[in-house]
Amino acid sequence: MTVVSGPTPAEWKQWEEQGYLVFENAIGGEMLDRLQQAFDHWAAACKAEWLDKIARGELAATYYDIPNVLEKDEVFIDILDQPRYFEYVRAFTGDDMIFIGEQVRTAPLWPMGYTGWHPDVPPDHPLHIKVQVYVNDVERGGGEFAYVPGSHRPGAGPYPRVKNLEAMPGHKRFPGGAGTAIMFNTYGWHVAMENHTGIPRKSIILTYEKRTPGKIDPGRYAHLAPWLNTPDRLRLFGMS
Amino acid sequence: MPRIDAHGHVFAKVTREFPREAGGNTPPEREETVEKLMTYMAGSNIDQAMLVQIGGTSVAQHAYLLHCLSTYPDRFLGIGLIPESAYGAPEEHMDRLSDGTGIVGFRLGMVGGPPDPFDAVDVRTFATYPIWRHAAKKDLVLWLYVRAADAHLIAWLVDAFPQVRVVINHLGICPGLGKGRTDRWGRPQIDIVPYNPAFHTTHRLSTYENVTMKLSGHYAFSKKPYPYPDLAGWHKHFLGSFGADRLMWATDFPWIYEEPGYDKLAGLIGETLPDIKPHEYEAIMGGTARRFLRFPDLK
Repeated sequence: MTVVSGPTPAEWKQWEEQGYLVFENAIGGEMLDRLQQAFDHWAAACKAEWLDKIARGELAATYYDIPNVLEKDEVFIDILDQPRYFEYVRAFTGDDMIFIGEQVRTAPLWPMGYTGWHPDVPPDHPLHIKVQVYVNDVERGGGEFAYVPGSHRPGAGPYPRVKNLEAMPGHKRFPGGAGTAIMFNTYGWHVAMENHTGIPRKSIILTYEKRTPGKIDPGRYAHLAPWLNTPDRLRLFGMS
Repeated sequence: MPRIDAHGHVFAKVTREFPREAGGNTPPEREETVEKLMTYMAGSNIDQAMLVQIGGTSVAQHAYLLHCLSTYPDRFLGIGLIPESAYGAPEEHMDRLSDGTGIVGFRLGMVGGPPDPFDAVDVRTFATYPIWRHAAKKDLVLWLYVRAADAHLIAWLVDAFPQVRVVINHLGICPGLGKGRTDRWGRPQIDIVPYNPAFHTTHRLSTYENVTMKLSGHYAFSKKPYPYPDLAGWHKHFLGSFGADRLMWATDFPWIYEEPGYDKLAGLIGETLPDIKPHEYEAIMGGTARRFLRFPDLK
């Protein structure tokens, strides 16, 4: 498959050295409207189930993921291969990527962050990429994503276990408008900063990975086949 | 450095002198005396312990706990209970139980704020706010083993009362509705999910210097027998996040006398954290409890 567009040499360099890229207005216009409407609709529709699972000790109250979003609205599939960032996923994985998961997440207000600084996977794991798309405007101090540039590189660190998230040496914060997408290598240390704005942060976290044999069960997403209507989507879901 | 078991329960048979509520694992004729506990402690070189009230919330039902504390004042401290009916004005109850008695704090099973995490928060409206306010005034410890629905609400009060010493019970797990039962040894059992909500609620309280975590209750949560290897990673995580100076080992006696046995639990930290530094081990096995809970000098 041919790469239609993708990283410039400067973006390649930043990805390799810093471990992240930012795409302002990656989602906009009608697509963003659809996304926001579906997000709010399903967040409201599934909330009672979430509260029930909190009471039963099965889910945390400090972040809220709409369950099984791929089955709820086509826009949650459409967002997976938006060219503004998907061409970069394609390039960085050598055009050989699979879909790992999608978290459609609202983070309620809380006195601290719902997680501490962390990498997601160790560096010997196949390349693991996340794209975080803001669904509402996220200002500085509004639970924005933050990353330690370069922390994905072999030999980086060690990084301290800081109690105050702002105390992490060398970190960079990423406020942004609705539709902004931040792509990062999850070997690197990252976090959601504390939110002191009074506005819960809404975002979608897309996870991709360099394909490895047996990682994805072709039958897992068979029920979504009618919506997996491009070769890219079939490959992402391990169906070709 | 004394070795301190930071959590467990003693109770007498139900009598006029020692009234208490009876329950499934605390029938009227059962007794788990402090002298029996002291025998187990001696066998494992444990010097002191925290006795946590069981068998009712009224002042009268604290009689056996108060008896133990007055009989062995250099060996034990106590944690009391508060009736929910007194949450709105708990001061008199808290003072009666804690003034010069050896009871140094109170255990809470709820927080009492808005259950919807998206609702506006005003801690002054929380059901337990008067308790926190009085604990702050009287320098009392709050001992938290709250229901799952309230796990995220603790942080608001901890944030509002940085002067209150808080002990998070039993690995920070907050029991879910309908998840409790009793096993064949009469021990409480709580079904938990592996990716536990505590990771994003009570475990995050390591941010606050006034919060400590108790390494106890494994028997109730683990899917594996002693030394509970499925929870060993939690200990390692706590050591990194809270640090040994804010971790306390405990057995949750008497539920563990038979299985796995007091002596085995006294060796749990060595089993789960084999590479721990000596000063960290001493802190978890007593140093933290001595400092944070202010255990008296042994005579």
